[in-house]
Amino acid sequence: MTDLKNGSVKQTNLNQSRSDIIERSLAKRYRAEKRFRCYGIMAIAFGLMCVALLFTDIISKGYKAFAQTYIQLEVTYDANLLGIADLNDPQQVVLGDFQGIVKQALKNRFEEVSGRKAKRELYGVISNGAGYRLRDRLVANHQLLNQSETLWLVADDDIDAYYKSIGSDAGPFVGRMSEQRQGWIEQLTEAGEVELRFNHNFFTQGDSREPELAGIRGAAMGSLFTLIITILLSFPIGVAAAVYLEEFAPRNRWTDLIEVNINNLAAVPSIIFGLLGLAIFINFFHVPRSVPLVGGLVLTLMTLPTIIISSRAAIKAVPPSIREAAIGVGASPMQVVLHHVLPLAMPGMMTGAIIGMAQALGETAPLLMIGMVAFIVDVPGGFTDPSTVLPVQIFLWADSPERAFMEKTSAAIMVLLAFLIVMNTLAVILRKKMERRW
Amino acid sequence: MTNVPEPLLKRGVTAMDNAQYPDQAVGEPFADDHKMSLRNVNVFYGDKQAIFDVNIDIARNEVIAMIGPSGCGKSTLLRSINRMNDTVEGCVVSGELTLDGEDIYTAKMDPVALRARVGMVFQKPNPFPKSIYDNVAYGPRLHGLASRRAELDEIVETSLTRAGLWTEVKDRLDQPGTSLSGGQQQRLCIARAIAISPEMILMDEPCSALDPIATAKIEELITELSQNYTIAIVTHSMQQAARVSHRTAYFHLGHLIEVNETEKVFTAPEHELTEAYITGRFG
Repeated sequence: MTDLKNGSVKQTNLNQSRSDIIERSLAKRYRAEKRFRCYGIMAIAFGLMCVALLFTDIISKGYKAFAQTYIQLEVTYDANLLGIADLNDPQQVVLGDFQGIVKQALKNRFEEVSGRKAKRELYGVISNGAGYRLRDRLVANHQLLNQSETLWLVADDDIDAYYKSIGSDAGPFVGRMSEQRQGWIEQLTEAGEVELRFNHNFFTQGDSREPELAGIRGAAMGSLFTLIITILLSFPIGVAAAVYLEEFAPRNRWTDLIEVNINNLAAVPSIIFGLLGLAIFINFFHVPRSVPLVGGLVLTLMTLPTIIISSRAAIKAVPPSIREAAIGVGASPMQVVLHHVLPLAMPGMMTGAIIGMAQALGETAPLLMIGMVAFIVDVPGGFTDPSTVLPVQIFLWADSPERAFMEKTSAAIMVLLAFLIVMNTLAVILRKKMERRW
Repeated sequence: MTNVPEPLLKRGVTAMDNAQYPDQAVGEPFADDHKMSLRNVNVFYGDKQAIFDVNIDIARNEVIAMIGPSGCGKSTLLRSINRMNDTVEGCVVSGELTLDGEDIYTAKMDPVALRARVGMVFQKPNPFPKSIYDNVAYGPRLHGLASRRAELDEIVETSLTRAGLWTEVKDRLDQPGTSLSGGQQQRLCIARAIAISPEMILMDEPCSALDPIATAKIEELITELSQNYTIAIVTHSMQQAARVSHRTAYFHLGHLIEVNETEKVFTAPEHELTEAYITGRFG
């Protein structure tokens, strides 16, 4: 009897000590869990901080590029000065000295300026590109000949940099500005004849040697045409390859080899694809260089592995029960794929394609190899017009010595980032919206 | 002794020590008016043999239940009957399987055409992520069974009515099939299978994912369908086999042990392995 009692006491003790042990280990586990969660939060915080830093730096440097200094002048379309007798003669219009009437206008505004050197200084206040705008206006409206009008003309980039930095903490950026010029700007400011206006040129023009005239439209259109080629080629090819490998190909050494090689391709440095494109598309097939067509072909090679891998994952995620159901009612293998597997895998495949496109949009190295790094002023209008792309444009501007290109570089990065954010958001929305549950 | 499989010995089922696999299934595996006939059927997955020398007939308009412990190959055999196993890599079927006297494993027999004649209902309800209407209409559309919309509507209605689902879904045919409850989904799958008017329906544990009420409905449906169709059903529930089937076949580790009238199998089994199974000594 006592034995039994002792035994039960022992049992209780044992139970107590065991629950103690469990409790202690539980506390330890919870602590570890908390620590683990802390690491995660720290990692995310670090990442977010880096992104915030990047964005503030770029935006603070680049936002000024969206505004441009303009100077108000009264210009006279003097036929003699222009050397134009007949506006319908294109030859005369092209040769017309429109910059001359800008100079005349400046001379009229600052009559006190004399001497060759001072005059040259004065003429440099307005951008070299101002004449083109006057020409376009005159061509559009012939009645302006020998008339006067008051216009806001784009200032030179030095003036722009100086005017934008007036009132900043570090004081105005003088750079190459002479005191004389600073005086003129002061005069104009007092008269309210100089101001910051929205920079249309940045969005409507191609590249230029003059920072105040340079825009990203050329690069953006180049990127657009290049990406159109890329998506048109890589999506069908990638999806076809993925469908074949997942649904039809036998599992053997050959398909294993193919799979390994697709994964290898995804890891090949992109510049190699550029060299490949140079050797094959340009040197062998004689596709013209520097055009979106060849850029798109090269980026297709680069994007294919991404699309194939993500498409295969999407196809794998289609539950086998759906395939069985379709086979069970007598669908042929192709019907199973077309009616069921592809529609269900489509959101995943499209997400992969968009991410691949975003990657392609930001790709620079392979395009350098195929000549898309050229200085191109005209906005490309098709797949075979010489062009450059956004990241290459950023690369070119970052390399330029003019100070004004610094803010252009940041602004172009902002535009590129905006495109990337839009594309990636689209991928997320698409996935959320089209995802079907079964 | 040598013939007894390892796992059985390990479990210490001493009563089974002397059990032998019969060369031929005991009972009445053959039928005169048979829809489907299997002779010397062996199924292999790669090197592993899953079915050993099965001989059985499935009579016209009967419900035959296939029972047996897990892994005994009953599903494998069922999936061989409409060549669903073709999609499994490394699966080889040998022997003679005939549907109305036609060998189904010849080059002449198109597996797609065969599956239009032998429908299948799966273990887990697997409606397509499409509307209820499209789920049922999918098969007829595939095979071009309806030339006009009205005809198709009629097929959908009769199929759903036969599956006992029409009154529940007639007002929401455009809603996704996946929005139905589990039991309704399974009946939808049955409607989908009978929409192409197959001659035979294979059911692979159709109630294992359903609650008792839904199960009762499906069983009722099976009994009704047996008037027009030949049905082979694999089930883990012996009660279910007893309720719905005319004959019962007992499988054991790939061997067909016994085929008899259902009542006889459950009251007076001929083979000791069958008896051991239905009395719950293993399984």
